[in-house]
Amino acid sequence: MNKIAYINNKAFEIKEGETILTFIRRHLGQNYVPTLCDAPNLEPFGSCRMCSVEVARPGNGALKTVASCHTPIEENLQIYPDSESVQHLRKNIMELILTDHPLDCLTCEANGDCELQDVAAQVGIRKVRYPEGRNHLDRPMDESHSYMRTDLSKCINCSKCVRACDEVQGEFVLSMAGRGFDSHIIKGLDTSFADSYCVSCGACAQACPTAAITDIYQSAAKHATDHTRTVCTYCGVGCNLEVASHGDSILSITAPYDAEVNQGHTCLKGRYAFRFYNHPDRLRAPMIRKNGKLEEVSWDEVYDFIAEKLNTIKSNYGPDAIAGISSARCTNEENYLMQKFIRAVVGTNNIDGCARVCHSPTALGMQRTFGTGAATNSIDDLKDTDCIMLIGANPTAAHPVTGAKIKQQIMKGKTLIVIDPRRTDLAKMAQHHLQLKPGTNVAVMNLMLYYILVEGLEDKKFIESRLDGYEEFRQQILNLDIARLERECGVDRNLVRDAARAYATAPRAMSFHGLGVTEHYQGTYGVMLIADLAMVTGNIGRRGVGVNPLRGQNNVQGAADMGVQPHQGPGYFDMHNEGYRHMYEEVYGVPMPERPGLKIPEMFEAARQGKLKALWIMGEDVVQTEPNTHAVREALKSLDLFILQELFLSDTANYADVILPASSFFEKSGTFTNGERRVQRVNRVVDPLPGTKPDGQIVVDIMNRMGYPQPEYDAAEMLKEIAQIVPFFKGITWERLGENGLQWPVAEDGTDTQILHTESFKIGKGRLYFVDYEESTETRENGAAFPYILTTNRELEHYNSGSMTRRTNDALIRGEDFLYMNPEDAAEKGIRDGEKVKLSSPRGSVSIRVKVSEVVKPGVLSSTFHFPEVMLNEITSSVHDTQAKCPEYKVVAVDVAREN
Amino acid sequence: MSKNLSHLSGRKGLTDNLFERIGELAAKTGSPSKEDLTKLAEEFLIRPASLYGTASFYDFTRPENKGKKVYVCNGSSCLVAGTQDELKKSIGTHIDTTEIGEMCCLGRCHENGAFHYEGHNYSGKSAAQLAGIIEREIQDGTDTYTVEAMGAEILTTPFPAWEEVTAQLRNLLQTPRETILDSIRQSGLRGRGGAGFPIGIKMQTCLEAAGDLKFVVCNADEGDPGSFSDRYILEQRPEWLLIGMLIAGYTIGAQAGVVYVRAEYPASIQTIRKTIAILEAKNLAGQHILGSDFHFQFKLIEAKGAYVCGEETALLASIEGQRPEVRVRPPFPATEGLFGKPTLVNNVETLANLYYILTHGGDAFAKLGRGRSTGTKLVSLDSSFRRPGVYEVDMGTPLQDVVEKLGQGFSRPTKALHIGGPLGGLVPVHKIADLTLDFESFAQQGFLLGHASVVGVPEDYPMVAYLEHLFEFTAHESCGKCFPCRLGSVRGQELLHKAQHEDYTIDPELFHDLLTTMEKGSLCALGGGIPLPMRNALAYFQDELRAYFKENQPVSTPKKV
Repeated sequence: MNKIAYINNKAFEIKEGETILTFIRRHLGQNYVPTLCDAPNLEPFGSCRMCSVEVARPGNGALKTVASCHTPIEENLQIYPDSESVQHLRKNIMELILTDHPLDCLTCEANGDCELQDVAAQVGIRKVRYPEGRNHLDRPMDESHSYMRTDLSKCINCSKCVRACDEVQGEFVLSMAGRGFDSHIIKGLDTSFADSYCVSCGACAQACPTAAITDIYQSAAKHATDHTRTVCTYCGVGCNLEVASHGDSILSITAPYDAEVNQGHTCLKGRYAFRFYNHPDRLRAPMIRKNGKLEEVSWDEVYDFIAEKLNTIKSNYGPDAIAGISSARCTNEENYLMQKFIRAVVGTNNIDGCARVCHSPTALGMQRTFGTGAATNSIDDLKDTDCIMLIGANPTAAHPVTGAKIKQQIMKGKTLIVIDPRRTDLAKMAQHHLQLKPGTNVAVMNLMLYYILVEGLEDKKFIESRLDGYEEFRQQILNLDIARLERECGVDRNLVRDAARAYATAPRAMSFHGLGVTEHYQGTYGVMLIADLAMVTGNIGRRGVGVNPLRGQNNVQGAADMGVQPHQGPGYFDMHNEGYRHMYEEVYGVPMPERPGLKIPEMFEAARQGKLKALWIMGEDVVQTEPNTHAVREALKSLDLFILQELFLSDTANYADVILPASSFFEKSGTFTNGERRVQRVNRVVDPLPGTKPDGQIVVDIMNRMGYPQPEYDAAEMLKEIAQIVPFFKGITWERLGENGLQWPVAEDGTDTQILHTESFKIGKGRLYFVDYEESTETRENGAAFPYILTTNRELEHYNSGSMTRRTNDALIRGEDFLYMNPEDAAEKGIRDGEKVKLSSPRGSVSIRVKVSEVVKPGVLSSTFHFPEVMLNEITSSVHDTQAKCPEYKVVAVDVAREN
Repeated sequence: MSKNLSHLSGRKGLTDNLFERIGELAAKTGSPSKEDLTKLAEEFLIRPASLYGTASFYDFTRPENKGKKVYVCNGSSCLVAGTQDELKKSIGTHIDTTEIGEMCCLGRCHENGAFHYEGHNYSGKSAAQLAGIIEREIQDGTDTYTVEAMGAEILTTPFPAWEEVTAQLRNLLQTPRETILDSIRQSGLRGRGGAGFPIGIKMQTCLEAAGDLKFVVCNADEGDPGSFSDRYILEQRPEWLLIGMLIAGYTIGAQAGVVYVRAEYPASIQTIRKTIAILEAKNLAGQHILGSDFHFQFKLIEAKGAYVCGEETALLASIEGQRPEVRVRPPFPATEGLFGKPTLVNNVETLANLYYILTHGGDAFAKLGRGRSTGTKLVSLDSSFRRPGVYEVDMGTPLQDVVEKLGQGFSRPTKALHIGGPLGGLVPVHKIADLTLDFESFAQQGFLLGHASVVGVPEDYPMVAYLEHLFEFTAHESCGKCFPCRLGSVRGQELLHKAQHEDYTIDPELFHDLLTTMEKGSLCALGGGIPLPMRNALAYFQDELRAYFKENQPVSTPKKV
């Protein structure tokens, strides 16, 4: 028998632990009880009292007024949510609120989109009976910030903004100050928004029930004719966005509260950095380089040009003289099409993607150890973990919503281990920060494994039942030269031991890693050791554990799943295996290439050697983002045909023979797969900018032009083909994905998967690999002449090459790349904060402004490559991960000097 | 209340306490500088806005406190006694008026004329010695008042020899916790701070709550103007309190006990500090108490001036260095209290009873008093009585006896007794005979025993002005979190002010609506409690108040609970 309680004497089923408000809303609708201080993503607060209801406990019939938002439901409770007394109370509270609120609704920007207005109408307030008294109507507006606005004369002191800044973003920019009637919202130390340390996430503006805190876009949203749910492209978190639009104009973006990924939250990139979509710089026509100059041409002309050129090169040099680089920014369907075009139409395995330069070591390392190159768990597991180990990742800047979620867990008392050469925001919060020398992850991981095994902290049961090769592995670890490892990584062994204990003894420990693990000489090995750590401690296959790569681009996971790598096709089937090739041939109706394809660095090398003649890049600015720019330029110059599909004329475009103007994600549909294997629907918000086409459509057009019959780009139809081939997409259909997507593998009946490897690994037993630390050739060869180590990082406001974010107000918040330098180094070199310096490596030098900061240790420097003005990759090296060929952006031997 | 801030502050906890640190930063100039707050925030992994939010809340750390040298008491008793205007004037001849602040209240209600100067309180005859005090020639502001019991002597009896206490505590430490808890439950002891909640239930919840780290917190923020009985214990019987906390700590398995003493009681802070040192010297505090496995640290926290910190959730937020805003319940402090850990929060007088219960048994205590109000109660009588002071009476003692026998009648013509602090009932003198001093009698008659402080409202003090004072007090002390209290207290004060000073009469329905809104809608007892004395006044002083209302119709009936 289900437990019940009564609303207006009618019985309804109750749920254990819910509040009266939730109970009423569940049965009578979201707006049945008015509220002002309640929000779906905030804890009950109980300040507005608007949600008051009358209740009577069984037996003792006395009626009592309680705030329903924070009063737990009880069995057999009698609830009267709209008794006369309650209605009176709400109206009287509203009357009090209006004694200190401007009564200028008709001219207010929030008119028609104001919770206060709605609730006032709901409670039926007619007039304010109080004589005019003290009020706060003369508070000035704050328009100092690039996005955020305040008009605190409209503030009703519900504290929702303060709580959003605390409970959602964890930044504490906002606070209430003063007391009683004088209490008021402050930003920072009572400064303007621009002078505060606000990270512009906009959670406060979304939470505000009036127009007291808004942003520059919010008020426009009331003119929207459409609201479209889609998925952000700014990182692998996969935030759902609700985009308000009118015709072809995007008005504003909010984060849906019912989004499983982001629960009403997102960052400034997702929420505010959208104005690139119709920026004057957007490419609006195809171009062909004629007499050294790019000239606008028709789509027909460009298609004919490409088809003819590619056919010629193919017949002259064979299909392997052609290569394609697909994009993790594009949809699964588009990536699938690109690899299909390269393999089925061109006939080569020369297909790779930008995952090569970020998480290729993750895919490889996790495939070797677990059999599956994808996050083992889900972000939601953060709620249930006891210990978080963050290695080489700075999610508060690069994956802000996940970063904020991790921060929330740590602030509430969970253990955090950060292994990072930089003292990141989360490292400051960590109980254990192992600030290692860049490039020594393998040494630190081995030290951790050593202490875990020496102290007997391994999970013997898990090892026994789920792993192979433990005894040998154990011996190898125990034979390690601990003193040497300690010396190499520069971290006190006791600190490593403490961290190892914390990780191994936590009932549930979850690891996250980023490019600080992968973009190394020993990148794949670093990933494999993270997997080793998880396996020997039994942190696999349960909720709240696992190995979880933080994917940099919105669809890194998806691009790899779709076969965007030379050795594996869609679904990770080996192209060198005849049976698998045959399987693809069945669907594609043409022979599949067998010869091994080129990885991106190999493509550039082949181009420089004159072996690769044609390259098609879909959405990547390789000149700015690939390491060792000089070598990249040389490669591009050597090509006979270089096709670039882009939104903007990037630096790479300088070398292109053909430019194809693509549509942004706002202008097309498809699916993205986020870092937790969640396939989500991307929905077209506005029509493609005139003159542009969705990337997928362009590929389809060329396929047809080159004689392969491929139907028009249609995400739902494309998914059907993908589901035929990719086993873990078997149960995925456009309709089934719904609002929140599905996490692969998805079974035929549509059941998805939050946690991998629960019973066994794809390869049966997990494989432990032993790898010893080896110093990067970069520092071994160049360390003497270039004694500093430069490591690259990301800043919150910008995304990768910045081609999109630099064309938004984000550039007003952060307008250049900085070089972070420890105060000791700065003092030694006589370099002052804000000064420009010459940063040089064996490849060349750049000029960059210094920020003196303790974020790095002496001897280590750090910078971003968001801005073409610096072109940091002029100095990065050609050293790659020995296994997956991912460039080592994270260790560059440099020297630094004052600029005169 | 932020769970995040609770935990971040809890990382350093009581050893390096955030609230104390803010207080220290304010000590230099009266309010911490923004630079100092920024540095402190970094240390605690918090951001400066939160710390500024905290500092700007308290009377003695907010920016407006900068440069204040003398603080004059503005509590109800000093107000109706009419001593303060003259006092301010006199102080103004020695000190710039901008350097004169206010405090509420110094607990010198027995003689009034109270003020605070450089860490000492003065009252009564001190007004005549102002020059010497300001010049620091006189630094002794010690006051004297009558202390007497009219029944059992539990709290007013002298503290026994330490040997005896130590022997009793040695026994305690060998007694199972459940046995002690049984005895406390049997005693029927209820919270003396005003709410009257049985301490045994709280202790049981704490004992059963999950977690190894637990706290006992003594609410020594006796903020009710007119009350000074906790001050009596803090200054004259501090051992009863600290030993009581030790017993409570042992019973619930706590490791630390916090005494949160209001800044307005500098002498109390001194005696508690000294007494903690004595306990530490006698191995009755610290590690391995009396050689046992029980560890219990005492921590004295000096409050910074905010009445609302007498509310337990605000008090806990205060210790954490957060803005002391009232928190929603559940969770109750007994399961999630200080730094998110199970915490027993009780008033001074409540905890001070525990040694008696431990040594005499719960039954002996339960035999005292009347009905569900067991034991004794301290009553503080202000200067409206011929013999003001602190009196211990058995629960259930006729109020008439307290007034006549202990107070020896009124020192001036008095029309009402404000009993139980500003949120307590206004008892017209003719109702005195109907009341006995216990929770039930007061509730049944539509009043509130509260903390049992008694302030006499003089015959010639306009009731409307007294009510305005109560609204003003509420407006000043409201934390500002819940809408009814933050806005209602100000509007109430404005209505009463306008009615007295302008050609304006109050719409009785509006006033009634305001009281009902605050009463039913407020988050805590501050906003929720203030309508009680208002309604009492409207019921019993209609004739006096009529003129301020439209058509001479103040609407109200005596409230019966």
